[in-house]
Amino acid sequence: MDNENPIEVKQRTRTEITLKQLRKNRTAMVGLGMLIVIFILCIGAPIFAPHAPDDVDLDRGLKPGFWSKDGIAGYPLGTDNLGRDILSRLLYGGRVTLSVGFVALAFALVAGTLLGLTAGYKGGIIDSALMRIADILFAYPALLLALVVAGTLGRGIDKAMLAIGIVYTPQMARIIRSAVLSIKEMEYIEAEHSLGASDWRIVFKHVLPNSLAPLIVYSTLMLATAILDAAALGFLGVGAQPPSPEWGLSLSIARKYLVTGAWWAATFPGIAILISVISLNMLGDGLRDALDPRLKGGTKI
Amino acid sequence: MKKENKILGLMIAVIMLSSIFGGCADQGTTTPPSTTDATSKYGGTLVFGSSGDAARLDPADVTDGESIQRMDNIHEGLVMYEEGTTSIKPALATEWTISEDKKTITFKLRKGVKFHKNFGEMTADDVVFSFARQYDPNNWYHDKGEWAYWGYMFSDIESVEKIDDYTVAIHMSKPNSSMMTSLAMFTAAIVSEKAAKQYGDDYFKNPVGTGPFEFVEWVKDDHITLKAFPDYWGGKAYLDQLIFRVIPDPSARLMALQAGEIDGMEYPDPAQLEIIKNDPKLQLVSQAGMNIGYIALNCGEGYVDKNGNYQWDDGEEVAVPGAFEPFKDIRVRQAIAYAINKETIVKNLYKGAASVATQGMPPGLLGYNDQLTGYPYDPEKAKQLLEDAGYEEGFKVTLWHMGSTSRPYFPEPTGIAEAIQSDLAKVGIEVELFTEDWGTYLQDAEAGKAQMIMLGWSGDNGDPDNFLNVLYSDHVCTVGSAGNYGFKKNPPLQKVLNNALLTYDQTQRDTLYRLANKMIVDEGTHVFIAHADQNLAFKSNVKGFVIHPTDRKFFYPVYKEK
Repeated sequence: MDNENPIEVKQRTRTEITLKQLRKNRTAMVGLGMLIVIFILCIGAPIFAPHAPDDVDLDRGLKPGFWSKDGIAGYPLGTDNLGRDILSRLLYGGRVTLSVGFVALAFALVAGTLLGLTAGYKGGIIDSALMRIADILFAYPALLLALVVAGTLGRGIDKAMLAIGIVYTPQMARIIRSAVLSIKEMEYIEAEHSLGASDWRIVFKHVLPNSLAPLIVYSTLMLATAILDAAALGFLGVGAQPPSPEWGLSLSIARKYLVTGAWWAATFPGIAILISVISLNMLGDGLRDALDPRLKGGTKI
Repeated sequence: MKKENKILGLMIAVIMLSSIFGGCADQGTTTPPSTTDATSKYGGTLVFGSSGDAARLDPADVTDGESIQRMDNIHEGLVMYEEGTTSIKPALATEWTISEDKKTITFKLRKGVKFHKNFGEMTADDVVFSFARQYDPNNWYHDKGEWAYWGYMFSDIESVEKIDDYTVAIHMSKPNSSMMTSLAMFTAAIVSEKAAKQYGDDYFKNPVGTGPFEFVEWVKDDHITLKAFPDYWGGKAYLDQLIFRVIPDPSARLMALQAGEIDGMEYPDPAQLEIIKNDPKLQLVSQAGMNIGYIALNCGEGYVDKNGNYQWDDGEEVAVPGAFEPFKDIRVRQAIAYAINKETIVKNLYKGAASVATQGMPPGLLGYNDQLTGYPYDPEKAKQLLEDAGYEEGFKVTLWHMGSTSRPYFPEPTGIAEAIQSDLAKVGIEVELFTEDWGTYLQDAEAGKAQMIMLGWSGDNGDPDNFLNVLYSDHVCTVGSAGNYGFKKNPPLQKVLNNALLTYDQTQRDTLYRLANKMIVDEGTHVFIAHADQNLAFKSNVKGFVIHPTDRKFFYPVYKEK
């Protein structure tokens, strides 16, 4: 189905087609549904959480949840080593972990788009310089680079956001640049040029809107890895700092109680990370199928 | 079957022979491994799971517990500790006399003590070398090490002199009553000068001592292997081989122990103690530890010791970067001490494997003041004190915690810091947590950058001076190399501590240190949390290990039951 065929789909915009494609994809819809639930729960943490995330009572430490008769009423998922309610900490922790992911992604999106547009559209020496710098950054595994950046900036959640943002910027720039490279050769761009349009107009009116498809797909998938990296940095001790309920940090602190049989303190933050990342990946895959004409209608695995 | 019997017979014969020779070599005045039913004790390899690798293998140039652990089985000093205590007994010296003016100690050396690897007999020259290389800039070996402990505990020694081949004299600038116990420390161990000459710059990787085990190999970050020294003057050790394997993660160490890959391990996590106790194949060896975990409150009185006399002189005062205004009021310091619930921290985070601290040093030491009760948990009193001090609105302060670095005195630093944060929140003090990597943490602590810091101390020699004078006195308020992170000038206390060092009379010292302990608690610059127990886990067939209060690990009396 192409836009140029006015008989079959008369008044549908590109967005409508995409949404229709997406709605047909059940995996993507499940992913989207789960994400919406997670967001509502985390944003509404003060309403949904039964306790404050920092309500410490050492005498209540490491009590199991609903599955055991040793559990205490009102603490459905049990308590952590300091007697804090795990369910409440999960909900509040989601706000931290997810916001790190979003802020980092936003940073990468803005910086990467600007750099990618400049490199792709201007070409020449600017392109070469920017892309060689990107190559250098690509040479390091993403998490290692994030660790180095976070280590240099110091510990803390804000630094973790920036570190992950910096790591994803060159990837974003690459994606935009490759889209721009093919778009700027199009005839309608040539037409604009011959009409005397300014670079600004061409870039923001034509090039950018036409490179949105890959941008959206990769943003979704990148958000998943960004969340994973945020949790990893928290786990390694350079991201969120105690007493933050951040998922990776909770997992890291609670993991040593696994051997003692208190599996719930580490398991639930782990499951929370897993579910968010899986839902984002499901949605991302669906979006790619819907937006990428070459994969349209094709089956995956 | 027949062949096996033959081998068995041969083995028994060898074991019996070795026990006879073991008996022959036994000439020392100290207790060597007892030779009764020795046939079943000799032989075998013990693999010990350590939490980290050694830094160096030169006994006088190490400060970390991991290096010390290896050193203690390779080397010995002039005197050594009695098993499990900090009282001293003869080792490489058989007897000693203290001069009239209490400034010279003369040692008679044990004759016929051999160094490992055929480096010959230990003589007065080796003793002089072992000390002179630490204090004498003209000694050829002096530049090869940093000798950190010398300044700490031995700086009163002016010189070590050889009288004859088997007599040495230690001359001190002033009487020092803790010197004899200090001489049993690892840094006072005797090393072979001949070996040091042969290995030169590589000597720290090739230790040669007189101890029960000799060095075999060191694979960095993996293991260090020692083997029994057959010519040990006290008789050969039971174990044939002793291997220290590095397994940093406590859970991984416990799993290795459960799987039988190692025979023993140090520092089990408090949360694991119950599992070890309930496992019939394992045994938990524990004892009250000689340590203190505390929170220091920075009062901002520091100095720089320009002339190196360890004293405050005019014009040496400097600003302490982490000075925190409210802590200058004693009521605020006391309020914090009252507001922290030490009992529940000990019960739940140390899992009961500790005792609540009432003062700055652990019980059992000379001068421990059992009349002190410290600051028992009382949030109401804390609120009242804050109100009296004009802080009814509370304030915001940063607490430095040790992050993922757990030490014997603070086994779960993050949890303890969070518990303190929540306790202080209840009296209106908002605590922000801060941490950084261990090396920088210690440096910044010494530079006085922390407002409120979690740290602790494990005793080196069992002398109260080793706690009170290095942690709470005012001459260690030296910004940049401080030991007292409370940064508070306290001349009356310093005077008591100085006097306690000048006398050799134990009752007098006891009285002075009791007084000093009370003064330190009253000053309130440190909130004392707990004295943690020492815990080790072994397989149930490992016998004879005796915990030492200083956390040093001696494997000489250890054997494996077949």
